[in-house]
Amino acid sequence: MAEIKIFGYTDKISVKQGEKINFHVSADGTKTAQAQLVKLIHGDGHPDGPGYLDEKIDDKINGEWSVEKQFTQLGSFLKVNDPENKLAIDGDFTIFGYICPSTPKTGHHQWIFSRWNNKTNEGYGIGINKDGYFELAVGDGKEVDYLISELPMIKKVWYFVAATFNYKTGDATLYQEGVLTRYNSLLGKVVPYDYRSHTKTTFRFKQKNNPKTPFIVSGAYDLHELRGHFISGTYAGKVDRHGICNKVLSKEDLDKIRDGELPEKNSILAYWDTTVGFSDNGINNTVIDIGPNKLNSEGHNHPVRAMTGWNWNGKNDNFRLAPKEYGGIDFHPDAITDAKWKVTNSMTIPEDLKSGVYAIRLRSGPGTGLSEEYIVFFVRPKKPKSKICFLVPTASYLAYANEKLSFEAVIIQPMTGQPPTITDIDIEQYKNPEFGLSTYDSYADGAGVCYSSYKRPILNMRPKYRTSGMGITWQFPADLSVIGWLEHNNYEYDIITDEDLHKEGLNSVKPYNCVITGTHNEYYSEKMLNALEDYVANGGRVFSTGANAYYWVVAFPEEQPWCMEVRKLEAGMRAWAAKPGEYYMQTTGEKGGLWRTRGRPPQKFAGVGFIAEGFDTSEKYRKMPDAWHRTVSWITEGVEGEIIGDHGLAYGGAAGVEIDRYDLSLGTPPHTKIIASSGGHSDNYVLVTEELLYAYAGLVGSLDYRIRADMTYFTSPNNGAVFSTGSIAFGQSLPSNNFNNSSSTVMKNVINAFMKDGKLPGGLWTLEEKQWK
Amino acid sequence: MTKKKNTWKNPLAIWGAKGGNYEVPTPPYKDPHDIWKKTNSYKVPIKKIGRFHYEYKSSNHGNKIWNRLRWWPTRRTILWTKGVYNRKSLKAEKIRKDKRPIFWFFGLLFLAIAPFILPEGNKTALLTAGGIFGIYASINLCWTLIIGTAGIFSLATYAIVGISAFFTCWLSINLGLPWWTLPLIGMFIGLGFGIIIALPALRLDGFYYGLLTLGLNELCRVFITTSKAFGSASGGLFGADTFINQDWTPMTQTYASYYSAFLLLIAALFLFRFVDGKRIGRILKLAPEKKESFAEASGVDYKRARVTVFLISSVALGFIGGFYAAYYRGVAFNLFDFHTVVMGLAMITIGGIGRSEGAVVGTLIIVILDRVLIELGPMRYIIIGVLMMFTILFLRNGLFGIRKQFKEWRNKKKNEVRSTRVERGGEMLPEQSTEMDNKDEVYRKRYDKMQREFLKTLICNEIIEEHKNKPLGQHSEALERVLYYFRRAAMNDKYVVKCEEPFKKYKIMALSGVRGRSPRLVEDKVYPSVTDAYHGLFLRRVQDLMEA
Repeated sequence: MAEIKIFGYTDKISVKQGEKINFHVSADGTKTAQAQLVKLIHGDGHPDGPGYLDEKIDDKINGEWSVEKQFTQLGSFLKVNDPENKLAIDGDFTIFGYICPSTPKTGHHQWIFSRWNNKTNEGYGIGINKDGYFELAVGDGKEVDYLISELPMIKKVWYFVAATFNYKTGDATLYQEGVLTRYNSLLGKVVPYDYRSHTKTTFRFKQKNNPKTPFIVSGAYDLHELRGHFISGTYAGKVDRHGICNKVLSKEDLDKIRDGELPEKNSILAYWDTTVGFSDNGINNTVIDIGPNKLNSEGHNHPVRAMTGWNWNGKNDNFRLAPKEYGGIDFHPDAITDAKWKVTNSMTIPEDLKSGVYAIRLRSGPGTGLSEEYIVFFVRPKKPKSKICFLVPTASYLAYANEKLSFEAVIIQPMTGQPPTITDIDIEQYKNPEFGLSTYDSYADGAGVCYSSYKRPILNMRPKYRTSGMGITWQFPADLSVIGWLEHNNYEYDIITDEDLHKEGLNSVKPYNCVITGTHNEYYSEKMLNALEDYVANGGRVFSTGANAYYWVVAFPEEQPWCMEVRKLEAGMRAWAAKPGEYYMQTTGEKGGLWRTRGRPPQKFAGVGFIAEGFDTSEKYRKMPDAWHRTVSWITEGVEGEIIGDHGLAYGGAAGVEIDRYDLSLGTPPHTKIIASSGGHSDNYVLVTEELLYAYAGLVGSLDYRIRADMTYFTSPNNGAVFSTGSIAFGQSLPSNNFNNSSSTVMKNVINAFMKDGKLPGGLWTLEEKQWK
Repeated sequence: MTKKKNTWKNPLAIWGAKGGNYEVPTPPYKDPHDIWKKTNSYKVPIKKIGRFHYEYKSSNHGNKIWNRLRWWPTRRTILWTKGVYNRKSLKAEKIRKDKRPIFWFFGLLFLAIAPFILPEGNKTALLTAGGIFGIYASINLCWTLIIGTAGIFSLATYAIVGISAFFTCWLSINLGLPWWTLPLIGMFIGLGFGIIIALPALRLDGFYYGLLTLGLNELCRVFITTSKAFGSASGGLFGADTFINQDWTPMTQTYASYYSAFLLLIAALFLFRFVDGKRIGRILKLAPEKKESFAEASGVDYKRARVTVFLISSVALGFIGGFYAAYYRGVAFNLFDFHTVVMGLAMITIGGIGRSEGAVVGTLIIVILDRVLIELGPMRYIIIGVLMMFTILFLRNGLFGIRKQFKEWRNKKKNEVRSTRVERGGEMLPEQSTEMDNKDEVYRKRYDKMQREFLKTLICNEIIEEHKNKPLGQHSEALERVLYYFRRAAMNDKYVVKCEEPFKKYKIMALSGVRGRSPRLVEDKVYPSVTDAYHGLFLRRVQDLMEA
């Protein structure tokens, strides 16, 4: 019997009481699975904590579900909307366009512009053959005739390519010329490559056009008996302006197009001007055909736009300055932003289901490892009820969704100071490309992944999951330690997610006295950050549980809020760096990168910001002198002695993993008090790169005083306040000793004060001291 | 003298950092730069490398249009020419991946004009031999299809030709059939006979089938030689109709027979090309001998393809039989002789089984030896025997396998020499560096080698003990240096801990370093905690370091 594997995802990550949610499930080796709705309470199995905790919920969704194997379309491509089959050309044609292949020689055929059926070999198209030569192919349904270029294509160099076909004589020509400038390609002018290649031959037959075949940019139509229609032969690389003419253009005509002119107007069947549609707020996934037939094409799996084009001149670093230089669209054969699985089941959230973190637990066969799946979703109240809300950092979950660092990033072991600890789930995730990549990975062609989505199974957004590189819980399962703490202490709380904060802004958090953040809320859209800042400025209180928060700028496309864009730039602890000129996000037109580099360091909002990460050990906090000041002494009330957090599920301490520091020069509010700070971090804790101007020896835990976690507190207008722990490990320190510990005491003091209406404690002790000693 | 004890003091001890390891025994300090200072040359002699670009390679067409000529009516380009960039100079140049058509062209051209350029004195003898060569080469091409392409070890090839020749000859003599019907009738005889011998091929293979067909050949010989109707008295059957007019001058007759055999050869070559080079031939190349079951499991219906090729060849052999009868106006018994079979076998083995050029050139060599150098007498057979022995002993696939075999032999020699020259630790030598496009990798290997040599001197019980007590966190300098090196290793074969059961069962695996490819388990040992697994993994890395 085949090994049983079950995976699933939901169509929404956040759902309100009374709303409907769909579950998409794919299963191998089984036709049925047992479903159980569970409320998740604690997700870390570490023996120093309470272990995994959930609560089974009765609902009609429970019971046996019938499940099936589902298929996923991998690869980004454009599909032309051509209902009248104008591109089913039974006559002469010329296809042309600018391309910049990332990996021309892959051993597989890559289609670039095709109206081609891979199953039946019908149609016509141009692409790159398995040896890296540019190729024109026509197929009559029986055989394929092709012509290849004289010289192979060089990776990451811009070319203008074209193919002509004379329907009557069968004469085919190929045109391939390098259009590299000082800026646009990997290589410059000094390399003695001759990029020119002009070939011709006579084909034995003509193309047969199947009315059902769509015109695809980056791929070709295909059919599989179980799967149905899909796109195969996708391409890795960029495409700029491209088009089709209904006649054979001469070499001289093509020379003109190569230099940037449009083809003769009445010969144009379609001309996709990839630079049309830009606004200050970015560009969507529709590529506009400025030809007579208006055959726009639509992006699938988010081809990356707002990329430098063939004519990028290096002066304008932004499509808002020169949209005509940003015609580049980058395609990746391993991109996936929507698995598009069929709905397996759906449920309407009962009105009386408490707001919280829920999952459908699916089990089949042995019901452990790969045959157990938790499809996690977050239930919001219809109307806010509690004083406290937990803000689930779903944007950060997306950033890390299905990361493969342990398997392919050389940096991971030096960074974490330990060998990874992998499980069968990690191996499955690594083996199966259909789960897609995280923003910590690169596509196979080397480009960093800038889109992530939750419309696919996210195997590390599960309870019990331990992140392989670090051997601890991370993001979602780590956040369950905070949820577990709230549950254990019987706090009434509501749940909202980053998606709600992004969509509804301030209104989503306004009703609450206190917002608790996750352990590592690293990714923020401008709307999210604005909402939280306005919230605090208007008297809201934020308990910032983690560290390395409010760090990366992200954006969500308006039509696809389940998808997130991030561009990692020159600074920051980053898995990849965007290429020059590609720093501005397609989705909103904003500059990506760190909030710090856009004038909003995390210190400005939270008092502290990212300073170091280590992952091999965690330390404890020592109270700082200000902790005894009556404005804040209530925070550490009940803590015995001066040490806080000498325990925890993340390396045995509350200060560690990733840590944040107070810094007035980066906008920490001037009246911020440091309640406690950690010290004695190992040399595996290294200063973050955005702090570096010059690199020099000794930027490590035992030699640099800046490497520490600062626990800070400051007040804001209208009785608002922000408390920051400055450490990711703080959240995982809460469950120690059955939630009875110094971190928990501090958190209780702060939450109890924050959830009360009216004034905060300590506010009256603000007169300048007259000191006798 | 007592050994001086070294200790390392943890800078974090003052902070009361978690996990202890405040003061541990450590090996004496060693300078990591020493190895760099000491290493000033390779340990083996180094010579200049590089090969002079003596070969002419045409450059690219640049701005001009290159008309890709094809072999009509296929889509194959002539000589399979393609443009490439020279790895050393990046200059565009052309390579011809298939030069065989050039040799074929000149070879066949020579055969075509041979009657006009051969020395007058020997012309008739040579042209007669040329005719024999044409017919035998055609037979051998068909045979090569059977043995090489279809992989059926049949020795009944000459039997098919013979049967067809005798029957058509008999028909021509007794029914007065004109010469042009003989090859056509021969085709049917070939098919019928082919079917009969194809059947056992489905059950028997290799040696046994060879024996069976040899027996069949003998049976036919005995049958024919003892049948009165086939001329048991006269040593053969003569008097069939022919296309060579007896009224022509003897020279014209010689020319006619020479060119007709030449045309037969051309036809056989086309047949070979369209069977071996097309779909059916490719299917059979997926199912070589002893790997049939793999091919079958992959959905290749190799049996059907084999029988098809066998039957096509049999039809062709039948045709040749008919042609033979019309060509010689009859047929002699020696066509069935064991001598003929052995000569045929010599022809295809010397040339190389499975290749058209092998069959043709092999035939040429044997025909020259057997029919042209007649004055050598019985010595001829000794020479043929020696040639065959040489081929079987030293060549893997005849004359035309020499090139590939030579390359493999050179590769083997290269590896042998390299293994004696290689620097410990894997630094690249000049000759190895030519194979690496990324020169950064060449340096990385040097750096790696230096590091390894230094780090090996740090491995001692003290650091192993220290790691055992505290796998994660601040370590002594000696241990930390070793760990830094381990952690930064490349991803392929890098060890990781595999959690079988959280907090209870751990194992050690090695990563593939290739996206999508699963890691592999390196040992069965189960560790009860992740800390134990960290140390087990460390010990493996230490072992790898010391053994490298």
